Formats: sequence, structure tokens, C-alpha cells
Amino acid sequence: MATDHATTGETDVDAERGYFGITLPSHVKWNLVRATTVVVYVLMILPLLVIVLNSFNPSRLGNFPPQSLSLRWYEALLADGLMLRALVNSLQVGIAAALCAGLVGTLTAMGFVRKRFRLKNGLVIVLLSPLLVPPIIVGVAATIFFGQLGVGRSLWWLIVMHTLLGLPYAFLIIRSQLYLFDETLEEAARTLGADRLTTFREVTFPIIAPSIVTAMVIVFVISFGEFTATQFWVERTTTTVPVVIFSMLRTSISPKIDALATVMLVVTIAVPALLLGARRWLFEH
Amino acid sequence: MSAERSRLPALKDRVMENDWVRFAISPGLGLGWVVLLLFLPMTVILAISFSVPGDFGNVIYEFTLENYRRFWESAVYKNIILESLFYGVVVTALALPFGYTAGYFLGRSKTDWKWILLGLVVLQYWVPFIIRTYAWIIILSNNGVLNQLLMGVGLLDAPLDIMYTTYSMVLGLTVSLLPFMILPVYVSVSTIDEDQIHAAKTLGATDFRAFREITLPQSLPGIVSGVLFVFIIGAGAFLAPTLLGGPDTRMIAPVIETVFILDFNWPFAAALSVIYFGVIGLLLYLFTRRVDLEEALDTGGAV
Repeated sequence: MATDHATTGETDVDAERGYFGITLPSHVKWNLVRATTVVVYVLMILPLLVIVLNSFNPSRLGNFPPQSLSLRWYEALLADGLMLRALVNSLQVGIAAALCAGLVGTLTAMGFVRKRFRLKNGLVIVLLSPLLVPPIIVGVAATIFFGQLGVGRSLWWLIVMHTLLGLPYAFLIIRSQLYLFDETLEEAARTLGADRLTTFREVTFPIIAPSIVTAMVIVFVISFGEFTATQFWVERTTTTVPVVIFSMLRTSISPKIDALATVMLVVTIAVPALLLGARRWLFEH
Repeated sequence: MSAERSRLPALKDRVMENDWVRFAISPGLGLGWVVLLLFLPMTVILAISFSVPGDFGNVIYEFTLENYRRFWESAVYKNIILESLFYGVVVTALALPFGYTAGYFLGRSKTDWKWILLGLVVLQYWVPFIIRTYAWIIILSNNGVLNQLLMGVGLLDAPLDIMYTTYSMVLGLTVSLLPFMILPVYVSVSTIDEDQIHAAKTLGATDFRAFREITLPQSLPGIVSGVLFVFIIGAGAFLAPTLLGGPDTRMIAPVIETVFILDFNWPFAAALSVIYFGVIGLLLYLFTRRVDLEEALDTGGAV
């Protein structure tokens, strides 16, 4: 009935009543939208600012607002071998997984966009399935699987699994760039005698490179923050920052956690933001 | 020697031009990665869920239905799965109106701040869950930031006791998941042709009617994608129930972890995983009968 615009009668009267029988002027409604958006942003951003502020708070009990500022928790962080180890591990795994997912994601996206093969639509879901399986199950399944195979815990384990978790994102990002790509450019290169590899290196890669960088940044971010599955895969020497923070939260809450969390925020926000900012500059030559 | 040398490139070309080899390198590499590291392990836990638990995480390979019988006969585990789905629904129901409104604002607003606001949502995506969750401990604890501020200005005499309850868990989880709703809604709202809305209003439609008949239907892909991500991540949440929830907040992910790590009962942990994945898979199947799953994942996944 709502589809028939000629017979307005009833539906228009209903619509005139607005929400709950109250009719508000347009600008009031827009201000409500605006106010709700402000609430959403305050809820999302304020907690992070509290962590950063607290990491400079000299008080152990975290009296708020801080009476003075100090770097004592960062000094404590620097003296903590386990935390530094975790930070180095997280960076190594994140960078390696990003490179790995960048490579695998590029090849896979190329295959899905350029080739024809049977069951393509079903196989896309296979590729995206790491997004659909709850991480707790990915964690348990890989632990049992590698355990039965007798694979020892090392950073390699984390790298291949974080590549798996980042792969759907890498695939989607690179594929969307390939969809915008003018395929005649490749055909032209091939007609002019370039082989597949040269065509890829000289034509395809320069055009999709920005999306590969985006994909790798996203995979780094996912790897760097992943906890739920990763907690099963690490031991003391291969531990990562989220796992260290979690185990500290279980034992004693200390402002050292705020310092480590702030470092983590910087790595997970500043580094990717800079890389994405430099992305265009990197590929303008 | 020279014959060898000239044959090598030809061999290389033959290998590279072989359809199977090219499939293996190109789409096959990613598919193989997922099959080997996700599908195969899931098949293994399916097998192990029918095995007998030994001591210290050992598995005795004898066929048994005991793990499933244990699940079926205990109300505790069945309720935990139902509660997880319930919290998933609650968190989705809360994230939808707030996330939609913010996404709608970003999509329609002409403010100069728009790109900064958009950037803040993307950055929020990047902040690890452990940090987003931990922040609420500092804020909501009895001597946390909120209570200190409220008591400092004299609004409260005794601290508000909301930490380690279902409320703190739902609050922390909902806020963590808001970006997953905001961004896809923004993407679909921003692609709506504004002339359509102006035209509708010129023809006499009220704000509400223009929203209901133009904006809402066209932002549906964003809603679907947001709901999918928020529900799956919310129902399967581990950190929020573990760190923010109370003793009566029980969700499936922490329970699987406990059975796996503390009880060392791998077959039962495997059975719980299989059952939970079965439930999620069934819901996804019902979902895909009405919605294109790939499109929903694409809208929400390619940030």
C-alpha cells in the first residue's frame, strides 16, 4: 500500500504524525542526529584519552585527574624484559604477516578477477570464511591441529595464522582496486610482446600498488591487536603485546599497562596513518 | 651445455603456461592457505569431538558420542550458547540505532570536520580490542575515573557499583563494536543521490516519509553488513565477558577457553566449538537465503 503513491490518504496521515505522534521541525531532528553522533564519538574516543592521560599519572592508584605528570611508568616499561620482548615479537609478526598477506592476497585477487573457473562464487566465500568463524574456534582448532602434527610453538606459527586472519581483508581491498582497472592496458602490453611477468611488473603492479599497501597496513593492524585466537598459540618467548596486557590484567592492574597500551596505540594508529599518508607519495614516480 | 641452457627457459615457459600451475599460483594460493589452516583444522576438531579425553590434553582415538551427550544433558552448556546469542542480539540492537545515526550523520553532513570524524572511526577500527576493553576497567571500576569524578563533584556519596556486571560488559562490547556499524552505514548513505530526497520533499513528503522510502531502503546494505559483523563478533566475544562481565555473565568463548586450557579437555572443547559453529553456520545459512553474503562482507570488510 505504501508503494502506491497515487492513493496517499492513510499513509500520509501516518507519516505526518512522525515518531510517537510527535512532529518535530527538520532542524531539531538534525540536531538530535548531531547530538547522538557526539555521544557516540565521546564514548569511542574518551576511554582512549583516559588511558593515555593515566599513563603519565605518577600515582599508582590512578587518582583522576592526575595531580602531576611523570614518565615513571614508561621507565618501568623499558626495564621490563618480557614486555620489550613481546613488543618486538608483535612487530616482527605483524610485519611478516603483512608482507605475506600482501603477496598471497595480490595473487589470489588477480586470480579471482582475471581467471574463469568453476565454483568461483562459492570459492569466494571459502576465502572470506576467516571473517565468519569466531576467533575462539580458529584458536582452538589450530592449536589442536598443529599439536597433532607435532609443530612446535614459534613465531612462524603466529605469522602463518595471522596471515590467514588478515587474508580476507587483503583480498577484498586489492580486488576492489582490480575491478577499477582497465584491462586493455594489460592486453596492450601483451600485444606489444611483454610476457606475463613483465606485464605484471610494468603495468599491473604500479596501478594496484597503493591498494596492496593499504591491505598490508590493515593486516599489520589486525595482527598487532589480535588476542582471542593468539592467546592459545604463544608461549613465554613468543608472547605478543595483547597477551602480555591480558595476563597483567589478570594478576595486578598497574599503570604500566597504561604505558604499554599507549605505546600500542601509537604503533597501531600513528604508523599506519603515516604509511597511508605516504602511500601516494611513495608511488608517484 | 648450450642445449641445456636453451631448454631451461622453454621448460620454464611450459610450466608457467600450464593451467594447473597457474591456478595453483594465483587463486589457489589463497584458497590453499584457508583450506590448510582453517578447514583442515576444523575437520580435525570435528573428528576429535567424537574422541575420548585422556589426561593432560591427550586424546584417545575411540569413537564416542559422550561429549555431545554431556552437552545435551546439561542445561548449563545449552544455556551458555543461548546466552551468547542473546548478548549478541542485545549488543546488535544497541549498536544499530547509535551506529546508524552516526553513520547517517557522516553520510549527510556538510561539516568541514567530516574527514576528521571519518578518520576517527577508521582509527577506532584499528585500536585493538584489548585496549578498547581495558579502557572501561579504568573508567567504570569502583575507584575508577567515572566514580572519582562523580564523587569529586559531590554527585555521589558511595561509588556506583557497575563494574563486573552484565551492564559494564554490554556497554564496553557495544562501544567496541560501534565502528563496525558506523562505517558500512556511512558508505551506503553517502552513495544516496540527494536529489531523490529533495524531489520527494518537493512533492510533499515529510522528513520521515522521505527517510523511510528513500534513505532507509538504500542504506539497507550497510545495515545488513553492520548487523552481520556486530552480531558475529559480539556473540563470540572473549575479552568483554572475561574482563568486564560479572560472575553471572557467561558467554561461549570464555567457556571454551576454560574447558580447553584449565580442564585440558580437548575433545569436549572441540565438541563445544563444533556445536557453536554449527549454530552460527545455521544462522548464516538462513541469512544468506535473503542476503548476498559476499556483498555484506565486502561492504563491511574492505575498510
